[in-house]
Amino acid sequence: MSGIALAAAAAAGAVLLAAGFVLGRLAARRGGRSADPDLGTPVERATFHTLHTASLAAPPLRAGLTEETARRAAGTLRSLLGTEALCLTDRGAVLAWDGPGEDHHRAHVPEQAAETLETGRSRSVHTDCADPACPLRWAVIAPLTGEDGVLGALVAYGSRESAVLVRAATEVARWASVQLELAELDRSRTRIVEAEIRALRAQISPHFIFNSLAAIASFVRTDPEQARELLLEFADFTRYSFRRHGEFAQLADELRSIEQYLALAGARFGDRLKVTLQIAPEVLPVTLPFLCLQPLVENAVKHGLEDRERGCRVTIAARDAGAEAVVTVEDDGIGMDPELLRAVLRGEHPAGSGIGLSNVDERLRQVYGAEYGLVIETGVGAGMKVTVRIPKYRQGVHRSSP
Amino acid sequence: MSEQHPPPAPGRGDPQRRPRRETVTYASAHGARTTVPGPARRHAVHPPARSEIDEQTTLGHTYVRSLMRSQLRAALTALGALALLVGSLPLLLALPAPEAFVWLALGVGVYPVVWGTAHWYVRRAERNERDFTGLVER
Amino acid sequence: MNQTYAVAAVTAVVLATVLIGALGLRISRTTSDFYVASRTVRPGLNAAAISGEYLSAASFLGIAGLVLVQGPAMLWYPVGYTAGYLVLLVLVAAPLRRSGAYTLSDFAEARLESPQVRRLASLFVVGIGWLYLLPQLQGAGLTLEILTGAPDWVGGLLVALVVTGTVAAGGMRSITFVQAFQYWLKLTALLVPVLFLLAAWYGDGAPRARFDAPAVLRGHTVVKVADTVRIGLDAPLTLTVTGSVDSVPYEKRTVTLAPGTHHVLGGTTLAFAPGAALPERVASGTDPLGWSQPLAGGRDGHQLYATYGLILATFLGTMGLPHVAVRFYTSPNGRAARRTTLVVLGLVGAFYLLPPLYGALGRIYAPELALTGSADAAVLVLPDRILGGLLGDLLGALLAGGAFAAFLSTASGLTMSVAGVLTQDVLPSRGVRHFRLATLLATAVPLAVGVFASKVPVADAVGLAFAVSASSFCPLLVLGIWWRRLTPPGATAGLLLGGGSALAAVMATRAGLAPEGWPHTLMAWPAVWSVPLGFLTMVLVSLATPRRVPSGTPALLARLHLPEEIIGTVPGPAHEVRR
Repeated sequence: MSGIALAAAAAAGAVLLAAGFVLGRLAARRGGRSADPDLGTPVERATFHTLHTASLAAPPLRAGLTEETARRAAGTLRSLLGTEALCLTDRGAVLAWDGPGEDHHRAHVPEQAAETLETGRSRSVHTDCADPACPLRWAVIAPLTGEDGVLGALVAYGSRESAVLVRAATEVARWASVQLELAELDRSRTRIVEAEIRALRAQISPHFIFNSLAAIASFVRTDPEQARELLLEFADFTRYSFRRHGEFAQLADELRSIEQYLALAGARFGDRLKVTLQIAPEVLPVTLPFLCLQPLVENAVKHGLEDRERGCRVTIAARDAGAEAVVTVEDDGIGMDPELLRAVLRGEHPAGSGIGLSNVDERLRQVYGAEYGLVIETGVGAGMKVTVRIPKYRQGVHRSSP
Repeated sequence: MSEQHPPPAPGRGDPQRRPRRETVTYASAHGARTTVPGPARRHAVHPPARSEIDEQTTLGHTYVRSLMRSQLRAALTALGALALLVGSLPLLLALPAPEAFVWLALGVGVYPVVWGTAHWYVRRAERNERDFTGLVER
Repeated sequence: MNQTYAVAAVTAVVLATVLIGALGLRISRTTSDFYVASRTVRPGLNAAAISGEYLSAASFLGIAGLVLVQGPAMLWYPVGYTAGYLVLLVLVAAPLRRSGAYTLSDFAEARLESPQVRRLASLFVVGIGWLYLLPQLQGAGLTLEILTGAPDWVGGLLVALVVTGTVAAGGMRSITFVQAFQYWLKLTALLVPVLFLLAAWYGDGAPRARFDAPAVLRGHTVVKVADTVRIGLDAPLTLTVTGSVDSVPYEKRTVTLAPGTHHVLGGTTLAFAPGAALPERVASGTDPLGWSQPLAGGRDGHQLYATYGLILATFLGTMGLPHVAVRFYTSPNGRAARRTTLVVLGLVGAFYLLPPLYGALGRIYAPELALTGSADAAVLVLPDRILGGLLGDLLGALLAGGAFAAFLSTASGLTMSVAGVLTQDVLPSRGVRHFRLATLLATAVPLAVGVFASKVPVADAVGLAFAVSASSFCPLLVLGIWWRRLTPPGATAGLLLGGGSALAAVMATRAGLAPEGWPHTLMAWPAVWSVPLGFLTMVLVSLATPRRVPSGTPALLARLHLPEEIIGTVPGPAHEVRR
């Protein structure tokens, strides 16, 4: 019996040993945080960090060499070089200084840089500083060039003469020069971005923007805190609506955007607008066409509050139905003539009311097939209930669209 | 829309093969300003890692495969720990072990081991994702 | 046992399930709590829901029953049920969520871009779902029979009716809250009684449970044998018999049986004197009660083989269970899916500390259950047996409520997913009416089969569903997520050969067709050979059809593995900061 116990003990010991070995390996891996050959060693990461720092300096320089951009770029360039101090000049004056020693060195920069600005050649000079505590003993002056020749100079200060400082400063100056050359090209880009935003803006009803801003303005004096909240909602709402890529979104995100919309609408209509939301949380991750519910809600609010003194209630519900989610948007407003609505859905009343409905209907049928179009229950004076069925999964429908 | 503009005029040179600043001339820059808008040109020069992935270039595939490999390594390490610590138990228990040992090992001991392995894996996988995001986003 | 309390507890659980399901929506009436209502489910809540759905009758009743009969080797079942989530976590959880698939059929279609593979996967979803539903309904029958003496099909019918009704009527609209509630109910229902039982056991002088020798009966015990059994004796045994033993009829006669094997006809009553050693059931190869026998020891090699068969089936099978896969859809993203699984591991592991205690206590205080074939009831009868009185009745009622929560949660989860797949891929057209029809079909088939199929321990029967899942969906998911050269023909062949052979072996075992000895062990525990078969077939056929690699594979793999912040469009951060 003791032999058996011994064998069992030996086996248990072996397992414990193996476990210890594995744990040791795991701990070692964690300690040396990145033996991972695919995601990089610390050295590689440091390189990326350097390159990243360089890229941070790029945007300011892309705007051209001015006092403002030089000030913003100088700090990054200095941390990139790792020098004691760094100075940027244009052809006439010092634009920016980063690091210590500005008080007694800045004045000498123009005369030191004059030769470089003239010839376009880099120089390495002793600072002849009288203050023994000042760390700025040596300076490397490298030209910053653009399309039209030398635009200015980069002056890097070190505590001693160093080949590394020279090499680094000239390379950084060369790199900065490329950025400056590209600056001119970037200016044309700005104009295009503005045009794109103008085009996107057209997707949101201009009335809504004006009305929202007017409502916010009305709170600015009486309730600044509320006005601030609303402004943030407005910013979030427009940011979401202006989102540029991705044909689809998650229901949770769409609802958040609707929440902002309703907060803004509520600011305008006050107590007249009442909203109820019923959500089964398991359908929140459902993916659906971007901005396909917001027009339904906008429609409900419009119908609910049109021509009426008393308030209106809008009910939004999202329910789980197995492999589908069912979303309904309901209002108790003026409703709509079913015949007219049919005509709108057929596309025969392009300018009439309910154009949002027909648009959403078309998109849903395009994405999910004919049987997934809107189901609308309405009558004149009978309110309106719009039902949307969304399959939880459909080939090709996912959040990102690369 | 801006991306669909006609390609640069011949003779201007492909900026991607032109890392040195000397080849940029005043004339070509002006030509570029009128024929090629900024964004298209900039994209051609240094697309960020993320758009390499979006556009499914060979670089993008390499990024994804690297992430998959590092995640698979984490998964296999966790599975190896499970096989070693739990999967070897039947062999151990095939020896006439005291009954109390069976109860303790299977009734209690296994669960902390499994949970600890899972915890390690979740941390590792999230770290891999953070590292990856850092690699392609910055 | 007092029936009134137990019936009241079961009724309360059923009512609470229906009510929470119908009313458990998040409702907001002001825009200020709109945000709370539209926030995706947190990992903690979702994990409780997943655990609630996962902990079935097999966990609540079955494990204790198996331990009572066969001893601590049966603890491999809960270990496997738990470790299955670890394997799922490391190989599948985040990518499955990122695929956007709701069911496993969706995943098959997304990955392989093939409607044929989708349909085949749907067949397996339905098959595994039914294999899993069957023991749930049978377990419900057993529970209600123990509690009220009703015929054994009544409980199954009750669960089927409640589940079909609520699911079809849309009453399970907020299943997350229902399932989370049922996890905590199940945990409480096992935890509270066990504290009392352990205190009573300690007060009794803490007798040890013995599994290496026949159990000794503590008092005068009368056992009614339900089905015909064979019993084995090591020493002569004197007992009073009413019925038939070894084809000799007796009427309240005291008999002394010689050592050896004896044949006891179903319906026979055996009365033992205090201190008598309980005879052990002898398993024959085709006796379905013998499935777990190899696990507990005995013939050379069988134990090790069966143990590894169980390990492979449960470790690799969890990821392919239909009701487990759909729950990952509720996580907002892959990272949350991972964290959710981690919490699930904690919750499930904590739960599984309890059933073995019931098994050990049952071996001491109710060993005769092993003879009657209703060892699964051990959990339910222990409070009455050990404590008795009002306290015993109340704790028994709590356990009965917990057991019904187990049947209802797993059955409704399975019904939802099976019915979803039936509506989408099997029945001709779509619509709400067809979903109801599918719900009916999803529960009616296993209910009907349950009436005719042989009664086997519930944990054993669930193990079969795991084996099929491990041989079919595990290769599909693992290769689909990690291997870019998988092709539709490869997936089809692997599903058919791996999953199909496991299904055939399992069906043959259930039908009692497997010959005795090694063939029976091989067929009752198919995972050891069918999982490698599934993987190998998928890989080889895929390699043989390299031109059939779906064109979207690189894009899809990127989506499965990339963190959402890289691939998806993340809404502006300002919103999150402000809250």
